[in-house]
Amino acid sequence: MPQKLKQANRALRKAWQWLREVTGDAAYDNYLRHCTANENRAHSSAFKKLTRAEFYSDALRRKYSTINRCC
Amino acid sequence: MNKLLKTILWTAISLAGAAALSAIAFERNEPLNAVWFVVAAVATYVVAYRFYSSFIAAKVLALDDSRATPAERLEDGKDFVPTNKWVLIGHHFAAIAGPGPLVGPTLAAQFGYLPGTLWLILGAVLGGCVQDFTTLFFSMRRNGKSLGQMAREEVGKRGGMLALLAVLAIMVILLAAVALIVVKALKDSPWGTFTLAMTIPIAVLVGIYLRFLRPGRILEASLIGVALVIVAVVAGQWVNASLSWSQAFTLSGPALAIAIIVYGFAASALPVWLLLAPRDYLSAFIKVGAIVALAGGILFVRPTLQMPALTRFIDGSGPVFAGKIFPFCFITIACGAVSGFHALISSGTTPKMILHESHARVIGYGAMLMESFVGVMAMIAACVLSPGVYFAINAPAGIVGKTPETAAAVIHSWGFPLDPHAIITLAHRVGERTLLDRTGGAPSLAVGMAQIFSGTIGGDRLLGIWYHFAIMFEALFILTVLDAGTRVGRFMVQELGGHIWKPLGQRGWIPGILISSALICGAWGYFLWQGVQDPLGGINSVWPLFGIANQLLAAVALVVGTTILLKMGKLKWIWVTLAPMAMLVAVTMTASYQKIFDASPRLGFLAQANLLASQIAAGAIPPDRIAATQRLIFNNRLDAAVTAVLALMVCALLFEALTVWAAILFAGKQAALNEAPYVPTRWAEGD
Repeated sequence: MPQKLKQANRALRKAWQWLREVTGDAAYDNYLRHCTANENRAHSSAFKKLTRAEFYSDALRRKYSTINRCC
Repeated sequence: MNKLLKTILWTAISLAGAAALSAIAFERNEPLNAVWFVVAAVATYVVAYRFYSSFIAAKVLALDDSRATPAERLEDGKDFVPTNKWVLIGHHFAAIAGPGPLVGPTLAAQFGYLPGTLWLILGAVLGGCVQDFTTLFFSMRRNGKSLGQMAREEVGKRGGMLALLAVLAIMVILLAAVALIVVKALKDSPWGTFTLAMTIPIAVLVGIYLRFLRPGRILEASLIGVALVIVAVVAGQWVNASLSWSQAFTLSGPALAIAIIVYGFAASALPVWLLLAPRDYLSAFIKVGAIVALAGGILFVRPTLQMPALTRFIDGSGPVFAGKIFPFCFITIACGAVSGFHALISSGTTPKMILHESHARVIGYGAMLMESFVGVMAMIAACVLSPGVYFAINAPAGIVGKTPETAAAVIHSWGFPLDPHAIITLAHRVGERTLLDRTGGAPSLAVGMAQIFSGTIGGDRLLGIWYHFAIMFEALFILTVLDAGTRVGRFMVQELGGHIWKPLGQRGWIPGILISSALICGAWGYFLWQGVQDPLGGINSVWPLFGIANQLLAAVALVVGTTILLKMGKLKWIWVTLAPMAMLVAVTMTASYQKIFDASPRLGFLAQANLLASQIAAGAIPPDRIAATQRLIFNNRLDAAVTAVLALMVCALLFEALTVWAAILFAGKQAALNEAPYVPTRWAEGD
């Protein structure tokens, strides 16, 4: 039974993560991970890591500057 | 699984699909159950995905997982973000799924369920999915370039400009068509108008929450917003019941049209975080939720279809729109089978996020299969209504008259019995004053959906709430298309206008924003206004125009795709894109010709203009109607001119492509392929 509970828990976590990814809720976390993975660039003087609010505004600007919804 | 078991399984799926398709095609004695449609569609999709898409992936496009995708090479954490394929298919589907696959099949149901269903299923697996998949692949191989850029680089400079102009023209017609559907669904409907009006302050609240209170927490903000929207749907019944409130929210067609044009202007010019983005989040949630609920409802209720397989209107005399099955069934269904607009999404953000090349198959081909299934569900929802009710809702007053009695008499004369009291009672049960003359497809789809939903939860008691939930769902994401489309249209006007007058090209310059927003809203607003004033309901002229424009764009995408395949040395497999392209060129050119030149005034724009002009000349029009009739004449001629310009633009692109093809095939010209150079991937396949 605990094994099954663990499996159910894992499946729920996966579904939740999927939902966060699809909706864009996890976009900033992914961006932070990208920054951490590219530490060298992140430390260069020209690079400025965006805050959550800045990242959100920037994402909206990029998303709604191009065709992103269909008929 | 061993080979024998696999063979048995695939044979069984193929046989199930063939049996279900045969039942749909040949059964005439008994009304069919919706389950046949689900089995036919799903079995065909599964077989097509397993065999046809894998053939395209392996032989035609030669997807190569050893090659780094743009998401890997250019990863920036913003646009180029390597994304899990199941997440990306969700993104991509949310972007391509619009109102078209719901409205088109509903309108095409006037021919009966058979032609539309066959085209939805077969058109998607052989045309629409191929277009989406190949465009996605070609764009991915070119670092996510847009369709216009690919047309410029692969076909020629003029081709690129033509593609940009075609997209702008199509956008204008698309926005007018979808806005007209909202107007037709909400006119004289206080419940529906209240609900939709409430989505604006709710979206603003969500926008403020996301911007200032909890930046970027999209999931929680959207859930709060969705809950508020559902409260607004339920509260609408109290507005409807109150005399003063219902008067305040009862708007005529022209008043709604003006409100929507003003809204479009505001949404385009205001900062995106305030209205456009939060509305988009709400709409995406409700859209996917309603589609999943509809699928569940159909499987749970398993309704029987009332519409015959074929109706008498295959002869072209249909009241919903004029024209024969060929080409107008294809033109009307549009997005559910093949959508040119998808080529813009497939060459937009999606190709920049693909992790491995092989993922393009499930995302490009697979998402379009899902879209086609939405179309099949819409066809089911339209056909579960009795044909009498379907035609009472969808036929304009200009054809069936304004009262239930006249409508019942005319529809009865077509061979579809209709009790005038039944249509009045049905209107009251769904919380509307009337369901007559509600052209545009949205109300009849909502009645069909409400019947399916109330069969699952709540029974007759909740019919009104389900109807208005369905209307809100359709109107909400139509408005999302409207404001997102107006904004992108504004950028296109700025880009094009910038060539003429430089300051207009600067995106942040406020007078430029206002001028270009007004220009684009004025353009689609004009076509919307013309549709609202049209005595034949407007849909008869605007929707075919939209369908032609959309299918022409699909033809453009397939012309570009065929050119690239030829340059890749894939002459042997060129029919994969060439065959659907030829079909679309034949359909759109025939439809364009008929819409311009057909002698029947209901079908041909010029014939309608000439008829009205002759009526004025003969003194048959009362003096107070002469000015309005002259406007109708002008509008018909304008529609004819727009159709001609669109068709000529595609002919020009086709001609340019043919010269490129001839140079490669006959003059032995070296084909310059503009792919990004091969870079081996650093990622393992299981990533």
